[in-house]
Amino acid sequence: MLVAALGGEGGGVLTNWLIEVAQQAGWHCQSTSLAGVAQRTGATIYYLEFLPQDAGPKPPVMSLFPAQGDIDIAVTSEIAEAGRMLSRGFVSPDRTALISSDHRVYGITEKSATGDGTVDADFIIELSARYAKRFIHFDLLELVQRHGTVISAGLLGAIAGAGVLPFAKSIFTDVISSGKGAAANGAAFEESFQRAASGGVAHFEPEVIPPFVLPEATTALGGRLLPKVAGLPAAVHEVVYLGIQRLLDYQDEAYADDFLSRLAAVAERDGGDDDYALTRETARWLALWMAYEDIPRVAQLKCRPSREAEVRAEVGAAPEQAMQVSEYFHPRIEEVAALLPSGLGRRLLSPGITRRLMEPFLGPRKLRTDKFWTLWTMRRLASLRHRRRKTLGYEQEWTMIERWLGSVQAAQSAGLAQAIADCGQMVKGYGATRHRTTSRLMQILDEVEQGRVRDASAVRGLQSAAMAGDDPEPFEQALMQGQ
Amino acid sequence: MAERSFSEEVKKLRCGDGSVFHGEGILAITKALLQSGVSYVGGYQGSPISHLMDVLSDAQDILGELGVHFEASGSEATAAAMLSASINYPLRGAVTWKSTVGTNVASDALSNLASAGVTGGAMVIVGEDYGEGSSIMQERSYAFAMKAQMWLLDPRPNLPSIVDMVEKGFQLSEASNTPIFYMMRIRGCHVTGEFVARDNVPPSYSNRTPVTPTREPEKIILPPFVYQHEQEKIARRLPAALEFIKEQKLNELFPGQYDSLGIITCGGSYNTVIRALQRQGLADVYGNADIPIYCLNVAYPLMPDELVDFCVGKEQVLVLEEGQPEYIEQGIQTVLRRRDVQTRVFGKDIMPMAGEYTGQVMLEGITRFVLASSRQDVPLALDLSAVLSLQTPLEDADIAALMENLPPRPAGLCTGCPERPLFSAIKQVQEELGPFHISSDIGCHSFATAAPFNLGNTIMGYGLSLASSSGMRHALPHKAISIMGDGGFWHNGLTSGVTSAVFNGHDGLLIIIDNGYSAATGGQDIPSLVEPSLIASTIDAERPRREQWQTIEDACRGAGVTWLETVSTYNIEAMKATLRRALGSDAPGLKVVIAEGECMLNRQRRVKPMLKQAIASGQRVNKSRFYIDPATCTGDHGCIRLSGCPSLTVKDNPDPLRTDPVSYVDNSCVGCGVCGGNAHSAVLCPSFSQVDLVYNPSGLDRLMHRLRSRVRTWWRGRDLRRQQQLQL
Repeated sequence: MLVAALGGEGGGVLTNWLIEVAQQAGWHCQSTSLAGVAQRTGATIYYLEFLPQDAGPKPPVMSLFPAQGDIDIAVTSEIAEAGRMLSRGFVSPDRTALISSDHRVYGITEKSATGDGTVDADFIIELSARYAKRFIHFDLLELVQRHGTVISAGLLGAIAGAGVLPFAKSIFTDVISSGKGAAANGAAFEESFQRAASGGVAHFEPEVIPPFVLPEATTALGGRLLPKVAGLPAAVHEVVYLGIQRLLDYQDEAYADDFLSRLAAVAERDGGDDDYALTRETARWLALWMAYEDIPRVAQLKCRPSREAEVRAEVGAAPEQAMQVSEYFHPRIEEVAALLPSGLGRRLLSPGITRRLMEPFLGPRKLRTDKFWTLWTMRRLASLRHRRRKTLGYEQEWTMIERWLGSVQAAQSAGLAQAIADCGQMVKGYGATRHRTTSRLMQILDEVEQGRVRDASAVRGLQSAAMAGDDPEPFEQALMQGQ
Repeated sequence: MAERSFSEEVKKLRCGDGSVFHGEGILAITKALLQSGVSYVGGYQGSPISHLMDVLSDAQDILGELGVHFEASGSEATAAAMLSASINYPLRGAVTWKSTVGTNVASDALSNLASAGVTGGAMVIVGEDYGEGSSIMQERSYAFAMKAQMWLLDPRPNLPSIVDMVEKGFQLSEASNTPIFYMMRIRGCHVTGEFVARDNVPPSYSNRTPVTPTREPEKIILPPFVYQHEQEKIARRLPAALEFIKEQKLNELFPGQYDSLGIITCGGSYNTVIRALQRQGLADVYGNADIPIYCLNVAYPLMPDELVDFCVGKEQVLVLEEGQPEYIEQGIQTVLRRRDVQTRVFGKDIMPMAGEYTGQVMLEGITRFVLASSRQDVPLALDLSAVLSLQTPLEDADIAALMENLPPRPAGLCTGCPERPLFSAIKQVQEELGPFHISSDIGCHSFATAAPFNLGNTIMGYGLSLASSSGMRHALPHKAISIMGDGGFWHNGLTSGVTSAVFNGHDGLLIIIDNGYSAATGGQDIPSLVEPSLIASTIDAERPRREQWQTIEDACRGAGVTWLETVSTYNIEAMKATLRRALGSDAPGLKVVIAEGECMLNRQRRVKPMLKQAIASGQRVNKSRFYIDPATCTGDHGCIRLSGCPSLTVKDNPDPLRTDPVSYVDNSCVGCGVCGGNAHSAVLCPSFSQVDLVYNPSGLDRLMHRLRSRVRTWWRGRDLRRQQQLQL
């Protein structure tokens, strides 16, 4: 039996349980491990062999190495590690039962991507099902967290429930019935045992997600806006509906109208490929970009009604337990200037007395938003949104938005239009990151406008290079190749 | 105290006559040492032998009762030098370390010990850190045994053999006046099993029964004695060893029916050989094999007579020897040629020269051997193509696709590690000052050479980063930068690094990471350990001193360092400023920055129970952790690229409009504050908050909480009404 866990997950505890179970059942059990020492993020491997004690005259000679084609049971605490077992040849179709939790613990390369760098877990699940003799998998992490214990207890239950070891359930339960957290371990073991015994299949009513239907207007406001949404292809209704809700909260009805009118123009040229992907994705990125995160927006989100409950739930605060929330803010001169009328804002950006006057209000600060005065200040800042249309920031954002929409419209082919529309995804981050992502988007638009880039694949190539990370190298490379 | 407590293991050391000992190989050796009447034990921690040190340092009372002297040596050289106690007196002693790195460090003392020879049994237990799970360059300890003439034991990896060989090893050492290497592989150190224990034996000489000092000038390694020593090694010690090994039958002979063939294996690989034969239908699970096996539990010296006796009458033998060069195979060839034995010897010609002899490698090799042999009547359960196809059942297309979807998992810094903010700071300073060449060192901090920090160019050895920068510093566009851990500093960084650098007018920057422990090897104490005893939010760097505290500052000043600053690693801004100052300074001489922050694993182990206890006893306690607002996070993950904290991860975006995952702090967060610090110093985003849960709030807390939540509730009402008006 091969057990692959991640550092600090209790693979050692699990192994000791298995040894004890075997001994109580009158079997030899030898285990060995490659556990690392204090490194907590690497993968750790445990290898166990079992043999009936009464089987022979002298103690058996057991191997310390797992060998390809020689594994009966492979256990992994996370689904990508199951993939690793497959890649190392430790899962044999004629022999190996593969037991794995199918939750994800993301690797550093997955987490650090500027966009979505996560691997395809479904593919690994499909592959495991194809190559393992038996493949039992379910979300053990969710299970053990519900019971307030750790994954090793759940894994023991899955191993016992899978019936791959010839030991009575009572012995397993007996072994984990002692020690601290015994009750929680027992409960997690039991549920995990049942899940595995049923082949990892859980019995639940599949939740039915009905196709999105544009709701009837219930208010005068809805009466004015929803018909315009209805005028667009049904395939884009959901995104547009979410879009106008966001923009109403962000600014006002007129702003939502701006959104709809621009979208109508895009829908005009949309041939309808891939369920009006062009209109849908333009709507998505346009709504998000129009609701750009300036100081009033951040302030508004920080005092949104639902927030306190969300935080309390996340940190597991007891009802009525006092909780202090200190926010990390770092206003820069740019963000402040973006709040001022264009002229004034520009003056602020150029070095001078006005700028120096601002200094004390800039830089890193930790603010307690559970306190009255901070919250009051936040609400004042949030209310600045009413003057947003006259600000430098608004002017700057809209110059970029119009350029982007313009080249979506001007694009020669539907494919190119789609690719440019999808570039709206690049607009993200704050401060330097936001500046980097948007200016790279503008550079891509330059390439398109000056005809240096003509087809969709080239644009997508530039986009992925631009999102490769903080290092400018890949993007500059890509630009050079384009020319 | 090490990162975890070994009280359970320590109890096992008390097992007496006849009781059955259950546990890991390395613990069995520890017990065997006490059964062999050792007088002193020393060593330097490192996988895979750390537990030997950890257990003994937790077993002071037992050692005290027996009169065994234990030292956590300053380095492997220190440990090796301890063995000089066995030169003049019949004191049995053992030291341990990770090999080959530790053996390299110890080599000076070992050579001199081996030259002088020993009276009492002297044993070096080397953890052969080779193959999967290793953390060092891949070399063998065997070469050192040969060139210094120390015997090398490599017993079969089962507890009875392991324990028996410790006692026999001391006898062999004494019978041949030669120090011994006792080699344990990684998997052998961690293999579980049982053996019947014997009573511990108090040493014949100790603080209760001191020796009578005597001088034996001929044992001093100076001319002319050194010439006699070499003659004596060959003329007297080697023959004595061969005689002892022969009569005690330390090497084992296992007969088999196909006796025109034979397998010669090292003890450590014996189990893998049996498994391979078993899978080919040529052995049973109890080790009864059809092909004769000669098992070298003593890997050096080779036994010419035994080898000839085994090979005579055999047409082919296979030598199974892990790693390279193939010293044993060469030795066997020499023996057979000299005696003109014509047996064909197979070895590295059909076995891989480099790398571990895993189950698959062994199965392939033995299959090739049988097929190449003159015996065509040996039945094989699996033919060669069947064996080769075991490598993987996956089709090529699937393998390719799978490789695309396997995230690498490099070992990284733990949640809340104090070294993380240091590397965040260095990465940010590098952004400002252009690419850095950094001389790195051994320790947790070497993980900074991997993603997401990607800082560090070379690692030359433990405590050698500063030394390794000295050849580079004149050719760098920036001041040379070296990073060293406190473990490495005390191991030899102070002498071979700092002292030498000051002497040579090195004007570069040395960052010494002071986390209080030898963290990478399991959190053992080091001279500069401090013992904080205050409950504090995990963010603070409060560190009261202990008695007899040896500070890194004092050591550096004593070595002549004048530019020296100590900064808490968690203060990223201060760290960045200090680094800029150091790199920009025109002041001559070495700039030393001591980056201070207690190892979080050890800190949590200490603080958690205190917090629990404090909360239980009604004290007012703030428990911190961090939170990322999914509404303001735009999913660019800049925070992760500056941190890599295990608790800072990603999750699906709750916003139906956004498609990229948001950053997310999971419940393993210890509230170290680094992600917030980075958000500030790198001007990332306004999504980070520190959330403090107040336990046992004071009256004022409760009052303010009630008032504040009232106000918030009232405002919430107004906001909800506003949202009502925005209904569609």
